[in-house]
Amino acid sequence: MHLIVIGVAAFMCLYMAFNIGANDFANSMGDAVGSKAISIRPALIIGAICELAGAVLVGTYVSNTLRKGIIPLDTLENSLSASGMDRWEIAAIFSLGMICALLGASLWLHLATKFSMPASTTHAVVGAVTGFGIISAGWAVVNWGQIAKIVLSWIISPLAGAAIAFMVFKLFARLILGQRTPVRSAIKYAPGIVFILALVVLFSILYKGHVVEAIAGSFGLEPGRKLDIIMFGAVLFISATSALLSKLLIKKNLQDVGESRLTEQFRRVERIFGPLVIISSCSVAFAHGANDVANAVGPLAGMVDVFMSAAEIEGAEGLQALMSDFVPFWILTLGGVGIVIGAVTYGYKVLQTVGFSITELTPTRGVAADLAAASTVLLFSRLGVPISTSHTLVGAICGIGLARGLAGVNAKIMGRIFMVWAITVPATAFVSIIIFLIAKHAGVHLFFVEVLQNAAQGI
Amino acid sequence: MSLIKELFGKSPFGPLAQHAKKVHECVQLICPLMEACIKGDHEEIHRIQDQVSKHEYEADKIKHEIREQLPRRYFMPVEREDLDNFLHSQDEVADCVQDFAVILFIRKTIIHPSLANEFREFVNHIVGLSQTLMNATEEMQALAEASFGGAEAKSVLERIGGLSEGEWMADRLQRKISKHIYSIEDELDPITIIFYEKMLHSLSGVANAAENTGDLLRQMIIK
Repeated sequence: MHLIVIGVAAFMCLYMAFNIGANDFANSMGDAVGSKAISIRPALIIGAICELAGAVLVGTYVSNTLRKGIIPLDTLENSLSASGMDRWEIAAIFSLGMICALLGASLWLHLATKFSMPASTTHAVVGAVTGFGIISAGWAVVNWGQIAKIVLSWIISPLAGAAIAFMVFKLFARLILGQRTPVRSAIKYAPGIVFILALVVLFSILYKGHVVEAIAGSFGLEPGRKLDIIMFGAVLFISATSALLSKLLIKKNLQDVGESRLTEQFRRVERIFGPLVIISSCSVAFAHGANDVANAVGPLAGMVDVFMSAAEIEGAEGLQALMSDFVPFWILTLGGVGIVIGAVTYGYKVLQTVGFSITELTPTRGVAADLAAASTVLLFSRLGVPISTSHTLVGAICGIGLARGLAGVNAKIMGRIFMVWAITVPATAFVSIIIFLIAKHAGVHLFFVEVLQNAAQGI
Repeated sequence: MSLIKELFGKSPFGPLAQHAKKVHECVQLICPLMEACIKGDHEEIHRIQDQVSKHEYEADKIKHEIREQLPRRYFMPVEREDLDNFLHSQDEVADCVQDFAVILFIRKTIIHPSLANEFREFVNHIVGLSQTLMNATEEMQALAEASFGGAEAKSVLERIGGLSEGEWMADRLQRKISKHIYSIEDELDPITIIFYEKMLHSLSGVANAAENTGDLLRQMIIK
């Protein structure tokens, strides 16, 4: 019986993940498709693979925050048991709340996508979960310190994206575009760019954490100083190898450069950056999977923890003990697959509108923006902070604009982004509260209590 | 909806380069016009004037397109005002060429043989000046690509560096012709003199507009 409930919750998670993929995927691969470096179908395929990879390999950190960081089970327990609830009810309320939060956030996102509003999936879920927390047990149960950290990151991440993109593009402008023979400089520096992209992605996967422990375990190595050094070396080695490979590929493809006119040279530079922007867009897709899969998976994982360890509810020291250390692999995969489905179905349509050539979104600009966005998002992912990939990317684009690399950025759209940003959190909190109250009124939580107790007795 | 697509919208720099090309096409018709006038071939003048009119009209269309598609934008690489002024000034060049063509068209003015070579010299100089400018402004997209800096910007700035001297030279040449005209005024009828003056005025208008446009381009680059 409890498996059926988990199944329903998993379906909610899939629905949410679908919305995440639908809403955000075009942003991940948009730079590569919009600068005409790659056509839509191959972009969909490799982008989807990278999203899944990011979700599975790095997705656990942010998922943990959304699972047990915002509404910590122990504070919930303390607060609710004070009003006379027993453990079973509290566990049920928690699980119900997570499901309602998922549903609430998904509905809001679905609406936003229908009305073409640039909503942040992260804001939606954080708002929804916080809303449930407040209504179930009052303001004190929410970990406001964590929320503050998250909101601060929502401000810092686009700014960081802007700053990094600004510096990266200025570097491109000075080292490559501003030279007398830009093509020569492009050939010289392209491997370096590949190196950095590989470095950023690999570091996010292999810097300590559960993937490293899994690898180490299969080799019989112990975590510790020696392992860290080995991993660091491996990251450098793989990055350097990819850089060298790219250097060979470039040399092979380009004949004699010669002294052609600057306009012709610029065209060739952008051609060289074509494969680079594909790689950089893939790293954004990877980063997006890493940070945003949590939005679908975190709440699900929380309630799965409770339901799967129903037998321990009675005897455990506190409900918090039910929470596992890591989000299970299958849940991360489920979320990743959901994102891929959303990306491939709805994201395809959106990418088609990006399909026409946006003249100043050239590969050089795309690489700078992607590099800034991917590194920022991956950094926050490893820190376990849920941020908005879309906003970070917009910040990065603005950073390039500041570096005079664009023909300006549409002011009206910026205004719309701010507006939607402002109302998303209260809106999803509201929707999630409504859904939760309806479910509670219908006695769904009591039904959960029954299921939990049956599960504990092994029925 | 695609954030990226909506955020970027349309760039004015491609159309600006196109506008420059159209104006350039107008400028290149000045010499043929002058030759036809010296030869007295009025049919030819009519034909070329039609062409100028067509090019000027197309330039105007591009100008309106640019103005329409440039709503409020943040983070433009150049000042919006500078861009507007530049476009207006470049359009002036075409307008002055159009004026010149019309002046030749509405009256069969005969160029006095002793003035022919001086007129030729003047016209060649004006065209050379404008060509220099046009070659520079057609680089608009490359400038945008290089984010208005580096070797490209330097090369463009160098090219338009000689424009003010060129304009000063044009003024000198114009004074020379005028002086010559008035030295033989007894051989000319008054209306012809008026039309000589009109021709010189419109041609120096081309030079002025070219120099002004070059200035504004420099301002755009340096920001």
